[in-house]
Amino acid sequence: MKQQAPIPPIGRVVATEQKPSTPHQFYFWTARSSPIGIGAIVRVDSDERVIHGVVTDGFAYSDLETPLDAVIGAEGDPAGLIDPTARSEIRLYLAAVLRHHPEEPLQPVPLGAVHLATDADVTVALRMDSFTDGEESTGIPVGVYAGGGLEAPVYLDADFLVGPEAAHLNITGVSGLATKTSAVEFLLTSIFQTFPTQKGSVAALCFNVKGPDLCFLDQAGSLEETDRNIYDRLGLVPEPFAAFQCYAPYKADGVNLNTLRTHPDLEGNTRPLVWGLRQVLDYAEVLLNRDDIDAKAGAFIDFLAERVVGQEFRDDSLRAKPFRVETFADLEEFFRAIFDWMEALNRGGEIWRTHHIATIRKVRNRLGNISTRSKGLVTDDGEVHDLPWGEFTDRAVYTVDVAGLDPLAQDLVFARVVSVLKEQLERRTLGVDHVIVFVDELNKYAPSDGPETYVRKMLLDLSERGRYLGLVLFSAQQFRSQVHRRVVGNAGTALFGRMDNDELTMGGYSTLSAAIKAKLATLPKGELMIRHPHFTQPIFVRFPRPAVLTGRDGVQRFPPSPDLPFPDAVARVLRGMDSTLSTEEIRDLVAGRRAEDVRRSLHATQRSRPDDPMAYFRACLGRAVVAESRDMRRGIPGVRSAPDPYA
Amino acid sequence: MRLAHLADTHLGFRQYHRQTAAGLNQREADVANVFRHTVDTLVAEQPDAIIIAGDVFHTVRPPNAAIVFAFQQLHRLREALPKSAIIVVGGNHDTPRSAESGSILRLFSAAGVDVVAEEAQRLVYPALDLSVLVVPHQALMGDVRPALEPDGTAQHQVLALHGEIAGTFPSDHAAMEYGGAVLTEGDLQSERWSYVALGHYHVMHQVNERAWYAGALEYVTTNPWGERRDEVARGLPGKGWLLADLVSGEVERRWVEQPRQVHDLPPIDAVGRSVAEIDRLLRAQLEAVPGGYAEQIIRQVVAEIPRHIARDLDHAFIRQAKAGALHYRLDLRRPAPTGPIGLAPGGRRQTLPELLEDYLRRRPLPAELDRDAVVAAGQALLNAVRQPVEEA
Repeated sequence: MKQQAPIPPIGRVVATEQKPSTPHQFYFWTARSSPIGIGAIVRVDSDERVIHGVVTDGFAYSDLETPLDAVIGAEGDPAGLIDPTARSEIRLYLAAVLRHHPEEPLQPVPLGAVHLATDADVTVALRMDSFTDGEESTGIPVGVYAGGGLEAPVYLDADFLVGPEAAHLNITGVSGLATKTSAVEFLLTSIFQTFPTQKGSVAALCFNVKGPDLCFLDQAGSLEETDRNIYDRLGLVPEPFAAFQCYAPYKADGVNLNTLRTHPDLEGNTRPLVWGLRQVLDYAEVLLNRDDIDAKAGAFIDFLAERVVGQEFRDDSLRAKPFRVETFADLEEFFRAIFDWMEALNRGGEIWRTHHIATIRKVRNRLGNISTRSKGLVTDDGEVHDLPWGEFTDRAVYTVDVAGLDPLAQDLVFARVVSVLKEQLERRTLGVDHVIVFVDELNKYAPSDGPETYVRKMLLDLSERGRYLGLVLFSAQQFRSQVHRRVVGNAGTALFGRMDNDELTMGGYSTLSAAIKAKLATLPKGELMIRHPHFTQPIFVRFPRPAVLTGRDGVQRFPPSPDLPFPDAVARVLRGMDSTLSTEEIRDLVAGRRAEDVRRSLHATQRSRPDDPMAYFRACLGRAVVAESRDMRRGIPGVRSAPDPYA
Repeated sequence: MRLAHLADTHLGFRQYHRQTAAGLNQREADVANVFRHTVDTLVAEQPDAIIIAGDVFHTVRPPNAAIVFAFQQLHRLREALPKSAIIVVGGNHDTPRSAESGSILRLFSAAGVDVVAEEAQRLVYPALDLSVLVVPHQALMGDVRPALEPDGTAQHQVLALHGEIAGTFPSDHAAMEYGGAVLTEGDLQSERWSYVALGHYHVMHQVNERAWYAGALEYVTTNPWGERRDEVARGLPGKGWLLADLVSGEVERRWVEQPRQVHDLPPIDAVGRSVAEIDRLLRAQLEAVPGGYAEQIIRQVVAEIPRHIARDLDHAFIRQAKAGALHYRLDLRRPAPTGPIGLAPGGRRQTLPELLEDYLRRRPLPAELDRDAVVAAGQALLNAVRQPVEEA
């Protein structure tokens, strides 16, 4: 067998009194032509030790003592400068130690030859050998480390990404480069394809908070050759998500979906998200602003939830017949009865069952607000379309498109969806073992300052307790320094895309060298810096474009259907269930019918998904009864003369 | 704008063996007489509209006398109230199962009243500014039900319907009429109507602010005692009809005088009592019936009475009571058997709850059903039926 020639070193460690080597960093010099750069991984070989490090800073020196020497040498004329002799110059790099071998005793880095890292070196340097070797590998490819012409796969440890050892992922980067969303989409692909079978099942739930970003995850996007090569290098197949469902509330008309994914070709897995009173009331705290948060309002909401809604409530002083509050309309009737009762009492009628009228009015207003401002999300007729609770499937992505919702309603959706996920994962009834929840714009939902909101509390709880349940938070924001510290601090893995310079001056980045900050500030699209529990230093990786259609391309390829007139929108929905139906027939059927009756019937049909949607819809809607005018008539005479048989 | 709402007249209803001097069934005559009296009252009240919300006749093919009588009375109403809307709704009792049979109610169109017995119709009376959506039983039994929604510009929008509103009837089903179409209270959308006139439930009952069952005019069921118990529970003195003012929303209850009363005498517990004691109690309770028991409808339950005690009761007196009352039902209930026969361990015959549970434990069920839940539901239903009977 031919002996492979040893790879020559690219530098040597240098240690001086001024710049000594320590156990955690060392300097080395290289030739000017060396391919070393910031972020490069190197290996130091000495007699008995091998040290891996990552370059965090670089310096260049010439033999000049001061800049004045250079000016005088050029006679003060930069244009006319031709150095009489080539200046001697060295390149000096500072590297942070990634790993010592042997680990003990921990000693300063010895003087030795410095080599560019190979594939095997990258694996060892990043401690990936501890979780990628063996039959039960938990490695999740996150990208390739590129340095000196080498492209080595980098893996995250599933135990530290999805739990139970650590969990959560946070990604920071400036807006507009599509890095954050692309990285998460790629990482989800990677997780779905490589998540170890012994760890069970995993699904993802993404909140789409702006534009069409996460609405086309089931459609293939265009990839370049370099992207395909990276997929190939990582052992991944570039393909969109096979199991995908998009949930979006309706617009106020109750038939057109409030999403950009309304192209007819995509209707099959675009579902409405509509909640009723029960779903809202359980999270009514979300609807209360800071001024509202008091024990009295909370107590009255609890009273409604526990004693009134969804059951028979009897109060003879209000009315003889028991209340049965199932919908917002029923609730309004209930409030009206209380107010009528109080008005009838006149003086002294400010308290009903220990609740003051002002508290009752406040709660009524807040609950009423949500049904008015988010008409498409909250139904008044009690019909509910919800996520497939209890039927989540392995490797499925569920997008909840809240981009078009009122901020209050967005908060409500976050709060309820995450809470139900938690409940069901705790009871093991969700259908999968792990759920990755992706929330963008943490600057908005979990800011480091500002009022305490229900959503922030919920995100804090999720980041602190979620991993025990299998609930993992993938979050993203533009300014990490302005997100609540406990949310980002609990993220076991952090990704950094191109950063804003102002952001890099914040205290949280003080451990990064100026060179790394400079690199972060100019990081090209498709590159990330990673912090992961196994990596002792941040590592730069390159990741491919996601294999799914971006929001912008998606909207071009699948332009959203224009909002149709009410009857046509109804026809579109029904035809989505059965393409053989005639638009004309549906239009005739709903002509002249009350919009809310049509909506109710349509929602019932969508929820039931019957074999014959038209028949079901027709049955729900009921047959229209035309009016017949009646004149007074007289009966036929003469019958009166017959004897009364019972007289 | 006053609307008279009556329902479930059940003309032609026959019960017991007593006959009138003319050879007609006495109860059939009672029912007719109450209806005649009600028509008299209606003529005197002069309402703007009258709705008979289903089950005019007790059967699809009523006796000839009932047909003639109904025709006469409706014709009389028509003649006396020429400006009033008179609407007859087809109920489950007078709707034939086969459409080809045709409804006898059609005949009454000739009497000048508006009959709606098959498809739902919206009758508009411009002179009264009244629109009535009339939904007979048959219209609710098809695949596509009519949409229960007001329409048009008429000020007064009324829904007349014959069916069961789920959750309205008592849980023991004592006064329940089987066979009606079931709707939910939400289906009615009562808040959109001026008034909802319902038929099918024989006890007068307000479903919600604007929806009412008028109840029957007489006890026209196989269990008049259960129906009476339901009325007592609801604080009702008896039978009647409703007069609704559609402008003010007020609804007056008009009671009708019954030709005879329904009495469910306090049950006698026979445990430890001698034959003489029970005889004395039977006599005392019968004689304590207000106004006397003659020609009345009476039930006397004697619980836990062994066969040998029952055999030795004063049957001469019992025969006399049965002859005097229109109907005297002596309901002698045996103690629970404890003999060696039966299926339960120890040779004991199974009680009804045990029998039910045993059956439900063995009955094949769809896989998705929880058997324990089915058993519990069965026991709850049984208890709901048994409890009132046992308490009675």
